[in-house]
Amino acid sequence: MSQYKIIFTGPVGAGKTTAIHSISDVPPVKTDASASDMTKSRKAATTVAMDYGIMNLSDGEKIHLYGTPGQERFDFMWDILINGGIGLVLLLDNTRADPFKDMKFFLEAFGDFISKTSVAIGVTQMDLSSKPTIADYHTQLQASGLRPPVFAVDARVRSDVSLLVQSLLYSLDPGLSE
Amino acid sequence: MSDKKPLTVALHGMDERSRKIMMMFLQGPCRGTVIVIDDDDPDVDIFDGDMPASKKLLSEHLRAAREKPTIVLSLQDFNHEGVLQVRKPVKTDDMLAVLNEAKVQLADFARKKAEKQAVLATSEAEEDDESEPQPFKTYVLDRDERKKTSKHRTAMRFDEKGFQGYIGSLSDIDVNDPAQFANASYDPKDYFQGYIQSAFMVCHAKGQIMQLQSGWKPIMIFPHTHEVWLDADDPQLRAFAGIKLNQNSTSKMSISPVNAQTMGLGGSLDKFQSMDAFLWKLACWTSKGRYPRLIDYTQPVYLKCWPNFTRLLITPHALRIAALLMQGPRTLPNVAQVLDIKPQYVFVFASAACALGLMRQAKREADNLIQPPEVKATKGQGLLSRIMNKLRG
Repeated sequence: MSQYKIIFTGPVGAGKTTAIHSISDVPPVKTDASASDMTKSRKAATTVAMDYGIMNLSDGEKIHLYGTPGQERFDFMWDILINGGIGLVLLLDNTRADPFKDMKFFLEAFGDFISKTSVAIGVTQMDLSSKPTIADYHTQLQASGLRPPVFAVDARVRSDVSLLVQSLLYSLDPGLSE
Repeated sequence: MSDKKPLTVALHGMDERSRKIMMMFLQGPCRGTVIVIDDDDPDVDIFDGDMPASKKLLSEHLRAAREKPTIVLSLQDFNHEGVLQVRKPVKTDDMLAVLNEAKVQLADFARKKAEKQAVLATSEAEEDDESEPQPFKTYVLDRDERKKTSKHRTAMRFDEKGFQGYIGSLSDIDVNDPAQFANASYDPKDYFQGYIQSAFMVCHAKGQIMQLQSGWKPIMIFPHTHEVWLDADDPQLRAFAGIKLNQNSTSKMSISPVNAQTMGLGGSLDKFQSMDAFLWKLACWTSKGRYPRLIDYTQPVYLKCWPNFTRLLITPHALRIAALLMQGPRTLPNVAQVLDIKPQYVFVFASAACALGLMRQAKREADNLIQPPEVKATKGQGLLSRIMNKLRG
């Protein structure tokens, strides 16, 4: 049986682990490590390898959900992960110092993969920091020539993550029926 | 500096993860005390004293003449004259105590600087330009934002079943009959939607918080944060949206500047909505399946970008319509035909997208000359459909 994957990527703390948890049918396999002393009061662990979840389809087929580690030192794994990928979900944290720089970095890093498939962007933490706005992201994207879906997302909320993935699939094929 | 004004701090020598955690710590347990900024003129500099790269930065920092408090986070004791220390693991009480000391130090530094400047201020006043505080670059803590629950709530989604009842229907026209398409439009100016759109434009142009009086419920408009405040629920708004306004109603419309501080809205932050979400649903309810008059249904339209669907009312097939129009301009009936859906779903989407300025009539000649690209089924359409069914649950 073929291995179909949806890849979740983005910087540290953008919500990749949580997003996969929101739509996975099985408890996600997490390859986290204990965080450093300061981290413990807010985040007990951070992903150092990758997250993995599964969506079981009606015919027994499985869709594998992979989350890339946020740390750039693991980017050698990304090429391995994207093999067989249906599309990319990029999560960006709006409280980061420069989320546009993050967006540019990941869109360039996965440029080849995106050109062959598609990308949908979810912006998290907008309830903590409402700027930049979604419109600001679209303005930034104009320069890259990409016009992907960009949604405000709460990674803990299944419907938010689900809508983002649906927009990715419709970008691949608007003819899909509801 | 006012005692209530939060300190601005810059974090140095931390990797991205540590920085992020520190920001969360400062905005969470130490909420409101400090704001993390990126520029080079914060009130306080905070260094990680244990990372090798950070040690070098810190050493350079301490060699220079300091004019602001410095805090070092370290596992071991750190002794340097005037430098404040917080031992790791960082505890909230320790950090708050040291930040208080930093405030005292900051006032002391400011006093000394003022005294020095008073002596030197006989000439060259223009040299002071460099000491002007720089604006925040990115992250500014907004303590109220999280309480605006309506603004951050997940969208309501409709499929065909139940949508008609929700949106209302028209007795005088069948908007799905191609022979009646020419009459299936409406003018937003005849409805509350038009007044809201005009009011938004006025507020943005003037850059002022304003109140729209309509003879119904007052609406406060906040152009800088792109928000509205309304003390009414959706069924009430939906009912008002569908009423065609007459001369008597329009005479009651007025817009005037207000002072939000004196309105006391802080206690009802849940009544804030984003302008986009508000206008989008208002347009849906006004449309009732019609398209806006400014659109020529025989000519192609294009979509500037994807609507932010997680925070908008999702009408039937809205994601598919958006995805198709993002591929290129099409006429509204063509969209309905290609997707094999009732035209009313395309029309209602067009009304909402036009209200937000996301949809426009394609003006380029080529858009009329060239046949829209055929939508070919992707190789893995069966698989994608199964994933879609799974996601829609």
